[in-house]
Amino acid sequence: MTRQAPMVLTIVPVAALLAALQATTPPYAMLTGPIRTTGHQTETVLSTTFGVKVHRVLKAGTIAYARFGRAVQLQTSGVWIVVSAELRAFQKTMPVRAATLIGASGRSYRQSRRAGEAPGILSAKVVQPGLPTTGIFVFELPDDETLGMKLVLSEQYDPQLKDEIGVFLEDDGTASRDRLEIGKDGV
Amino acid sequence: MVFDGERKMWWLSLASLPALVAVAVVINAWRNIENYRHRIETDITQGPDHLDYAGATWRLENVRLLGDGRDAKLRLPGQMRLVIVRLVATATRDIGDAWGQCEVSLTDGTGRRWLPLDVSLSNDISRDLDPGREPVSGCGITSLKPPPKDHAALIEEKFVVPAEAVPVLSVKLSTAALRPKAIGFALDLN
Repeated sequence: MTRQAPMVLTIVPVAALLAALQATTPPYAMLTGPIRTTGHQTETVLSTTFGVKVHRVLKAGTIAYARFGRAVQLQTSGVWIVVSAELRAFQKTMPVRAATLIGASGRSYRQSRRAGEAPGILSAKVVQPGLPTTGIFVFELPDDETLGMKLVLSEQYDPQLKDEIGVFLEDDGTASRDRLEIGKDGV
Repeated sequence: MVFDGERKMWWLSLASLPALVAVAVVINAWRNIENYRHRIETDITQGPDHLDYAGATWRLENVRLLGDGRDAKLRLPGQMRLVIVRLVATATRDIGDAWGQCEVSLTDGTGRRWLPLDVSLSNDISRDLDPGREPVSGCGITSLKPPPKDHAALIEEKFVVPAEAVPVLSVKLSTAALRPKAIGFALDLN
């Protein structure tokens, strides 16, 4: 028994130390997660690689646009949120493909694929340094999610060690309009 | 006696664990650093005329600046300009897959970097500018079928850049196997 005492006295503290290290080490996904920058709709939010200025946030029950000369009209049982914004790239030609709206409940809503062919969709564009570009992001979500929304943008979804910009959208209290026309020049 | 030997080995194995973990981390880090080096361009040879790179001699054949109305009377909105760069590469040896992941970009000296337009948009612009001719391929497509020894290949890339950057632009070219080494030519557009 006495011969095993040093081994026990070694193993127990080492095991305790390793357990403490494991419990306090941030997970790999957090260590290699996005580099976050957050701001409000009233300001231009800038990260190292790109920046965004949100101009308008519009709600509608129906959105309408023309595609190849044909009128397209999309309805929803929730509400369409159309965010018009200006994007800037600083260092390198880049797309901003990933746009997510975080609703009042904390749920995340990615861009609507139904409206993916609307004119001026920003996630389909490539942003060139020195050439800001404007356009829209379109989301479809339940009506009760539209208070205190946050727009989250990045080059790709689930960025790792890359910039991610969050913009808190203003609760302007504007009522959802019945129909919103999306033209070539935006909304 | 055997029992003591086993115990010695057990302690030796336990003591060697930290060293083995450290070695594994170093090897992994080294691989990551090597992968990263093959994605960046830091060792750039700037040439006025001809440059040897990736089994070929490269020269800047022609540069066009469109959008300000001087060339092709094309006017692009605001500060937007289209730069078309043509390079000629004459193979000095059998190239094989040495041009893999060939990248061409424009830089302005302040760290900004413009990547070429995608193939379909680039070809559409070529057909609009010169309807009678087949579009000239970019570096990526040419790398799949490089020229044989002593033959030349013409490569064309198109870029959208802001007007204020035009006077200071230079073109850079690199391949995965040789990065971080790259070659560059000043465009001298005014």
